[in-house]
Amino acid sequence: MKIKKIIITFVSAIAILFSTSVVSLAKVVGDKIILGAAISLTGKYSSNGVHTQNGYNMAVDRINSMGGVKVGGKTYMFDIIYYDDESNPKRAAQLAERLISQDGVEFMLGPYSSGLTKAIAPVTEKYGVPMVEANGASRSLFTKGYKYLFAVLAPANLYLDVAIRTAVELNGGKGVRIAQAFEQDAFSQDVRLGILDAAKETGSKIIIDDKLPKELNDMAATLAKVKATKPDVLVVSGHTKGALTAIRQIAEMKVDVPMLAMTHCDAAKLSKQHGANSQYALCASQWHKTLTYKDDFFTDGMTYDADFTKEFGYAPPYQAAESSAALLVFKDAFERAGSFDQKKVRDALAATNMQTFYGNIKFAEGGQNVDKPMVLFQVMCDDAGKCENKVVAPLKWASAELIHPIPKWSDR
Amino acid sequence: MNKNIILYAAILIFGVAAPFVFPAFKVQLSILCILIILAITWNVQGGEMGYNTFGNILFYGLGMYLCASVQVGMFFPLAEWTEGGGEKTFVHTPAQFFQGFAVGLAVAAIVPAIVAGLIGYSILGLRGHYFAICTLGLGVAAGEISGGIEIIGAGQGFTTPPFPKVGSLEARGEFFYFCSFAVLIFTFLAVKAIYSTRFKLVLNAIRDNEDKAEAMGIQTMKYKIIGWMISAFFCGLAGGIMGGLVGYIDSTDVAFDGREMGVFMVLMAILGGKGTLWGPVIGATVFHIFKEGFWTFFLGWQYVALGVLIVVIVIYFPEGIMGWLREKYPERFGEVVDEADRKAQVELK
Repeated sequence: MKIKKIIITFVSAIAILFSTSVVSLAKVVGDKIILGAAISLTGKYSSNGVHTQNGYNMAVDRINSMGGVKVGGKTYMFDIIYYDDESNPKRAAQLAERLISQDGVEFMLGPYSSGLTKAIAPVTEKYGVPMVEANGASRSLFTKGYKYLFAVLAPANLYLDVAIRTAVELNGGKGVRIAQAFEQDAFSQDVRLGILDAAKETGSKIIIDDKLPKELNDMAATLAKVKATKPDVLVVSGHTKGALTAIRQIAEMKVDVPMLAMTHCDAAKLSKQHGANSQYALCASQWHKTLTYKDDFFTDGMTYDADFTKEFGYAPPYQAAESSAALLVFKDAFERAGSFDQKKVRDALAATNMQTFYGNIKFAEGGQNVDKPMVLFQVMCDDAGKCENKVVAPLKWASAELIHPIPKWSDR
Repeated sequence: MNKNIILYAAILIFGVAAPFVFPAFKVQLSILCILIILAITWNVQGGEMGYNTFGNILFYGLGMYLCASVQVGMFFPLAEWTEGGGEKTFVHTPAQFFQGFAVGLAVAAIVPAIVAGLIGYSILGLRGHYFAICTLGLGVAAGEISGGIEIIGAGQGFTTPPFPKVGSLEARGEFFYFCSFAVLIFTFLAVKAIYSTRFKLVLNAIRDNEDKAEAMGIQTMKYKIIGWMISAFFCGLAGGIMGGLVGYIDSTDVAFDGREMGVFMVLMAILGGKGTLWGPVIGATVFHIFKEGFWTFFLGWQYVALGVLIVVIVIYFPEGIMGWLREKYPERFGEVVDEADRKAQVELK
């Protein structure tokens, strides 16, 4: 029965291990404000996770180098503790708990994607930890009555609403026939709800309504149906992989459709990866570099684009821009609150009303940003095959005219 | 016998005191309990019965969805709770929350057990690799199907009822920890009791030679089904608690998470030692500690580190930790080794 002895030794070893590994970091150490973030560094959202992280880092460096955050007459610098949530909601919730109760973080930045934000929000809410998130757009996040959740982006149901309305307008105000395919995740399903609403209001008909699996690499079945039924608009949403898969297979199968509306084109670097094949794709975006918003830190969109490209070697997708904006919001709120009391910071956040290079930010009761519309851009290529994303709607910021309908593959 | 009592008392005291001694680790400790439950129940099939199943994740996910659905459905219209836009917000009173959770857990245990009986009846006739592949399909299919059912949130996911405002901030963590710890003890004692009966011998007979067992008049099918139902019962309970703990159920990433949980339960049982009572417990604990450690110290490389660990386990501890210990210290497992006899046998050969 000596085996029991081994087990006892084992159990006590665990106890010792646990007790020695308790390291408590306070939220504000010396002159540092420590923020916590769970980011998808691996898994299906890893590329967007990295955009998010780069956006956060870029803003931290910029704010710190420009004098930091002034609270109560003292200057503080931002610092972020990152963990990898593996694109998994279960892990994300666990990490939020860990950041708050083990690392002592008192202010959080959001993860990438609506699903992960949905998993983290109950935890931050429970502890009363203010979280400014930049990548969770699902509408259901803002109807749960969360008090400590603030999103700098417009809710997901508005993403492609404009595209449908534009298509109807171009159709002489008559309803259009819509084919749609959405990934089975919180964000894309919400985009779908937005389309359903828009279709109802404009009298449009949805003729294909497909669901795509996560980890999506093939949507040939949907495209075959599209080829057969010839809808007026094809809508696809499935994060970066969805955008890449759609363009690849549409080009392979030579699917002709007058309007192709998608999400995540810039995060997927579509125009770079697929060149002329991605031409004419219409993309919903939270931000575009040509928009004329300004702030003191990044000056404007064009400057942000240039600085980001210099630092990270690729043009910033809107996921990076909105992440940077989250830090600006935090800085502003800390300074207005004049304290690190979580409740005061929360109230200051709720009262936010500012302009950043990314757009105006003002939070509604539910925490969503109501002061910033979505934009639509279209991938346009010149004869040399160089492609660029140009804003086509809303008209206020349009830098090019929408090309509609998309020329047939046989004429390209 | 005395030592046994001391050991159990020590573990019980550790378990009860843990959330207060290490308040920051409550969630990790709760997940550890869940992992141990899953490893113990997997071991009933994989270890004792010799049926390598990847399908237990089905019962875990089923339990998770059922518990949350019952907890909501008892007091509010479920369809409105999970509706895409989530326009309405319902708030559980503390009494509603706990009643709903209790009933939910009961359903989460019973229904998966029944499902296991039905599925088992049709697929437990398969053996070896065929059974493993078939069960692998079960988990994948369940994930895809549940991702399309609107009433449980489909692709949007299902936010479980938030913990009501009772007690201090720590109340939620403590509640779920003690739930999972209690279920762990229940599972352990139940499985221990079962292992002390003829039932375990029958399972072992099936593992060692199913045809012979049948020839001896054992109704192997009956035992296989009952064995699976027992596993499903506890897997469902574990799932139900995990759903409440995570707070958000996603069809393929949280509930029918065959890629992670489904594989982990097999790994943990093998790491600790298949076919032993303590093996899965030790395996799950070691695994969890390593995993958490890798996450902290090898950020971004944690799965590489985990992969190396698995390779090391397979090469150096093919029989698991318990198997290795048993080989090294057979006398501590109550095996009498007669050195002279052993030598004599070696010489004979």
